[in-house]
Amino acid sequence: MPFRPLVRLIDRLAMTDRRYAVLFGKDTSGEAVAIDCETTGLDPWQDEIIAVAAIPIRDGRILTSARYEALVRPTGPVAATSIKIHQLREMDLAAARPIEEVLPELMAFIGRRPLVGYYLEFDVAMLNRYLLSFANIHVPNPQIEVSRLYYERKFGDAPPGTEIDLRFATIAKDLGIPDLPVHDAFNDALATAMMYVKLVDYRARGIRIARMRDYEAE
Amino acid sequence: MPKVFDRHAPPFDRLTEPEIEEVRAALDIGYFRAGDVLLHRGAPAEALYVVIKGAVEERDASEVIDLLGPKRLFDSRALVQGACAHDFVAAEETLAYILPRDKALDLMRRNPAFAAHFYRETSDKLEAFASRSEKREVGALMRAHISELSLTPAVEIDGDLTLADAGRLMNERHVDAVIVHDHGQTGIATGMSLAKAVVLDRKPLETRIGDVARYDLVTVSPQDFVATALVAMTRHAKRRLVVREGETFLGFLEDLHLLGFIAGSSPVVTGRIERAGSVADLAPTAKEIAAQVERLHRQGLKVQAIAEVTSDLNRRLMRRLFELTAPDSIRRHGCLIVMGSEGRGEQTVRTDQDNGLLLAEPVDAADLATFRRRFSEALASFGFPPCPGGVMVSNPEWSRTVEDYESDFRRWAVVPEERSFLNVAIFYDAQAVAGNARLLDHAKQAMIDTLKGEKVWLGHFARAIEQFTVPVGFFRSFITAEGRKGDALDVKKGGIFPILHGIRAIALELGLTETSTSRRIELVAAWGVFGADFAKELNQAFLFLSELKLDAQLKAQRGLGDGLVRPNEMSAIERDLLRDALYAVKQFREIVRRHFNLSVF
Repeated sequence: MPFRPLVRLIDRLAMTDRRYAVLFGKDTSGEAVAIDCETTGLDPWQDEIIAVAAIPIRDGRILTSARYEALVRPTGPVAATSIKIHQLREMDLAAARPIEEVLPELMAFIGRRPLVGYYLEFDVAMLNRYLLSFANIHVPNPQIEVSRLYYERKFGDAPPGTEIDLRFATIAKDLGIPDLPVHDAFNDALATAMMYVKLVDYRARGIRIARMRDYEAE
Repeated sequence: MPKVFDRHAPPFDRLTEPEIEEVRAALDIGYFRAGDVLLHRGAPAEALYVVIKGAVEERDASEVIDLLGPKRLFDSRALVQGACAHDFVAAEETLAYILPRDKALDLMRRNPAFAAHFYRETSDKLEAFASRSEKREVGALMRAHISELSLTPAVEIDGDLTLADAGRLMNERHVDAVIVHDHGQTGIATGMSLAKAVVLDRKPLETRIGDVARYDLVTVSPQDFVATALVAMTRHAKRRLVVREGETFLGFLEDLHLLGFIAGSSPVVTGRIERAGSVADLAPTAKEIAAQVERLHRQGLKVQAIAEVTSDLNRRLMRRLFELTAPDSIRRHGCLIVMGSEGRGEQTVRTDQDNGLLLAEPVDAADLATFRRRFSEALASFGFPPCPGGVMVSNPEWSRTVEDYESDFRRWAVVPEERSFLNVAIFYDAQAVAGNARLLDHAKQAMIDTLKGEKVWLGHFARAIEQFTVPVGFFRSFITAEGRKGDALDVKKGGIFPILHGIRAIALELGLTETSTSRRIELVAAWGVFGADFAKELNQAFLFLSELKLDAQLKAQRGLGDGLVRPNEMSAIERDLLRDALYAVKQFREIVRRHFNLSVF
């Protein structure tokens, strides 16, 4: 989103729910928060969040002990196609809490810390829809896209015409992230956090990721 | 919660479902770059680490003692003792779980099976260190004062407190035991005594704690030796002692605090061997020694340490057997020796017996015949298979006077045939086990002197390394020609044997008397035959290959596999290590070839 400082300023003034005031202001924690949402579909204007996980990261340490995780009860039916992906059945979500309860908790947990995600734009769009209707604000936090960090480390100096592959599984494999079952909010947030700590370290040390991988014959 | 966390990997497999959830809730994940130090020698360990991906080296000053791959956990010793004995350094980019120390200790206190893993691992490690020429260190530990140990703080309460209040207090202060003062008496109450009173004896929660406390305190003073505390615990069958100085209670000394010391000083098996009064008494211990190899291996003890512990126990066993079966004349004028892998201290899974007897002078023929028979029969009944080559006390060729041996050495030196090479190889690795060790020193020196400068003979001797190919190709690809499907390799023939025999040949030429392959490699390097860096590499290769062999052997014993190594069943890191190890063997074989000029043969 362009003009983000301006949007932030307007949001801060136009905010209708003061509980979200904690999101604004300068972040001094030195931490970041990896986040992932599972949804009923891929349309941020129609679909709903059904699971969310957020894991703080500090100095190369992934604070899974201090994570936030929640299931969210959707207002409408969940499509069978999406249930097959995240394996959260309607009955699994029946006892979950509504987004009205989860969102303030989640945002208070995140606070002013930057968000880290894979295709974070989507998660942020989902959150924005709720935030706009509940508090008339957008997610104000700085956003760090791991696929962009990866692109920069791997293809930043690539000659034109290089084949570029930024799929989640590809990045995970390339960075040697342990195999986690995907489409689970916590696992995806954890894998994203692992990518992030590695990529940040590579960047700090000026390490580039080799493009031609010499796969062994065996 | 990290769902990838493997709850089936020991010791976590001993935790209950709720305990596993606690672990999962408390875990963090750390990312470390190659060279990052996870634990510093001498510094306290704040956490238990479990490798997720990558590898961590355990280092002693400069030497790498162990390489910890995925699922390995460290450092249990530091966890219970507070400080690390070694550095733990990331060998490559590593992801690791971090379990806070308090949580781990808490679980150890509550779950004895979980704690037992740490006891075992720490004690085994210490035992291995102890038998590794650091006996003095253990001795020093036993003479350490209790004041040097960490204690659980003493919480003192009044006997008038109710059970409910006492329980609440203990929970708040995170202690499992409290000191109870009641009408001039001093006692102890534990979580267990509270539970017993309420659950078993159905006492109301308003009961005075003073009425359930036990007043048979076993106390020690901070100036007492660790050994004293150990004896007190054993004698009174207490897991917890009260440390007091005059009227002041300093805290509780728990078995957890002592476990490190227990191990080094009184290994159970050793005690049983020393106490055996007859050959029959020794039989169960012999089985125990064989059985513990697998247990130690499963618990992650490295092959070198396992071999040292096993050799040490086997030798004690034979010494005791010798004392029990040898007549006075043989005990006085004889020296019992072990040879081959047993002599090199590299035996893990039991192989054939390789033993012999040296006599200073001829002894009574009937005595000798009886001893030969009784000794070998006893060993066979313990499960030491007889040596097919007849290298045993029962064979008169291997139990006779030093003089007779020496005339044989001279014969072997002039007849360069297979049998002579084999005999020299076997005897050169001999170690004295019981009796007069000087006899062996003398005989070995005679053999070294006889072969001194015999370049051609030594060349033929060394040539045995050419028997098998090293199973790694020009592009460092594996040559898997073994096994039914031809997808396996034999690390013993293709890797371990060339190293141990090649180094044996050079050591013999140099007249070294050391028998362990690792030490021989270091000494040969010190003589300048190759560099210190290569020595290190070769030693690591030797240990790694031995590890693989042991692993495959133990699997084969359980009916899994054929004792061969299959690269396609290994992880990428292991494959890399195997490739490096075999490559080092290849280089070493070149060195031996050049050294003995083997191309002329």
